[in-house]
Amino acid sequence: MLKSIKPKKWVIAAYLFIPVALYIFTVFAPLVAALFYSFFDWKGGPTKTFSGIANYIALFHDAEFWASFRHNIFLVVACIIGQIGIAFIMVMLVNSKLAKAKGIHRTFGFFPSTISAVCIGYIWMMIYDYNKGLLNWFLDAIGKGDAKKVWLNEPGLIMLLVAIPLIWQFIGYYMVILLSAVSSISTEVLESAEIDGATGFQRARYIVLPLVKNTILVCITLCIAGNMKAFDNIYVMTKGGPGYSSMVMAMYGYKVSFEQSNLGYGSCISVGIFVLSLAVIGGSQALLKYLTTDKYDRDEQKRLNQIEKERRQAVKVRKKGGALNV
Amino acid sequence: MSKDVVMKPVESKSTGKTIKKGILGVIINAILIIFSASCIFPLVWMLYSSLKEKRVFNADIIGLPTNPTIENYRKILSNKDFNILSTMWNSLRTTVISVILIVLIAFIVGYILARIDFALNKPLYVMFLMGMLIPIHSLMVPIYIIFSKTNLSNHWFTLLFPYVAFALPMSIFLVQGYVKGIPVELEEAAAIDGSSFSKTMFGIILPVCKPILVTVAIINVFSCWNEFSFALILLKDRLLYTVPLGLKQFTGQFNADYPKIMAAMLLTMSPVVVFYFAFSKQIIKGMVAGAVKG
Repeated sequence: MLKSIKPKKWVIAAYLFIPVALYIFTVFAPLVAALFYSFFDWKGGPTKTFSGIANYIALFHDAEFWASFRHNIFLVVACIIGQIGIAFIMVMLVNSKLAKAKGIHRTFGFFPSTISAVCIGYIWMMIYDYNKGLLNWFLDAIGKGDAKKVWLNEPGLIMLLVAIPLIWQFIGYYMVILLSAVSSISTEVLESAEIDGATGFQRARYIVLPLVKNTILVCITLCIAGNMKAFDNIYVMTKGGPGYSSMVMAMYGYKVSFEQSNLGYGSCISVGIFVLSLAVIGGSQALLKYLTTDKYDRDEQKRLNQIEKERRQAVKVRKKGGALNV
Repeated sequence: MSKDVVMKPVESKSTGKTIKKGILGVIINAILIIFSASCIFPLVWMLYSSLKEKRVFNADIIGLPTNPTIENYRKILSNKDFNILSTMWNSLRTTVISVILIVLIAFIVGYILARIDFALNKPLYVMFLMGMLIPIHSLMVPIYIIFSKTNLSNHWFTLLFPYVAFALPMSIFLVQGYVKGIPVELEEAAAIDGSSFSKTMFGIILPVCKPILVTVAIINVFSCWNEFSFALILLKDRLLYTVPLGLKQFTGQFNADYPKIMAAMLLTMSPVVVFYFAFSKQIIKGMVAGAVKG
């Protein structure tokens, strides 16, 4: 903190007023509004009737909503495995001494993540198209014409089909993030492992992976947050269909609120999305923390916490004692 | 003589190794080339397919155009229902103003939170930080309600509110962290020389913060240009449509005319693509820094 400069209070207030007001108005006010309207039966018209927690009870029993939630979770898992897994393999390949033109791979690989999800959605719709799609063209070309399908009409496959563009789009993104972490590992460590006879796989598994653990955790967190809010791709490619087989939470909220103009229930869904997303992000953080520290570290931490607690208690007792003495 | 005997096995071993290494190298590079090609292929495919007529494309979706034509582009640019240039102008205006506001506000707030000790410092910091945790998509419906109640939706400036507000937490966090790394002596010296608070902030700290502000700007250029969901719910007037909305409308209109859709997508992507390939190194660096620190 700066001690020598003490600007007047009104100067600070003047600087901060607009940003804080804007922020509260755009982020916190809607949260409160969602909570408020979620207790009403409101179809967007001038009349709304208070309905207590009826919306929440409906939400709790709403099979479509929970199916959308499961689809979000599916996307999260698919993208963690697909994006970060493939990205890690790519990083190991790019980082090997034998790889050429690393800069080009980085530039090209990162490129899809700068394109709007809408464009990505349309590109993949063209790939999945029945008559003019690349996928069916490819199946024809390799003589498997009978496997051709109207891809986006397959309820069983649809989640996988919408996950693939998402995965594809962000492999390069995570590759670049991991690459920056891996390149900070000193080459001496890897070279000495190589001299000791560690294979490429062993080096990746036992040296690189533990050293970039924290960056991978960051990637996983980004991945979870990104896929809980999946909307754009789904809207463009399937609108949640066929039926509800590719519905995700944000899409469901949109559909209920704007296509069925049921804003009361839509607000309730928004609150649901808010709570569930926070729970998933928070829960996964705790889980990851638990999984990535080994037993020894946990016991050690517990012991330290215990010592700290005892110390605090001792201080308290001493203070009390001191007070009594005075 | 004895030297030769010793040399031989070593030599054959090393050639064996180089062959093995060579094969490995070919495999590794092949995988990487396939990966890079798959990332760039859609762009290339769209680029040459947009030069085909619909009829030619439908007959052969993958082949190069035999007699390329820019007819698709001409038709798009003269289309009455979908004015691509106006959507691009809307996106450009929204993006530029948003990014300028984001950088400016993030700098001011980040700097004050990092340096000035006042009662609300901690609460404000926590409030902005909490914004990073809020799942933005749970705000879609309530923002629509609030904006239509206050008559803020459906204006040219409507999107500035969500774009700036949603970008602030991370941007402020980045700036705040950066300012903390700047030695305080810089400002103390300025204070001794009689520089006012505002003058110090904009005249001395702003130039020092340039790298992080560039990072903030880069991250947000892409997210503002590409943003779709809030534009979808907050804009009704076609004349205000940003690029992603315009594309949605356009593809609805030209359902099966893929070359035209490709041409439209390429046109709307072009500013970002040019920007990306011109500054890819800095952009990648900035995005990574933003992701890892945020």
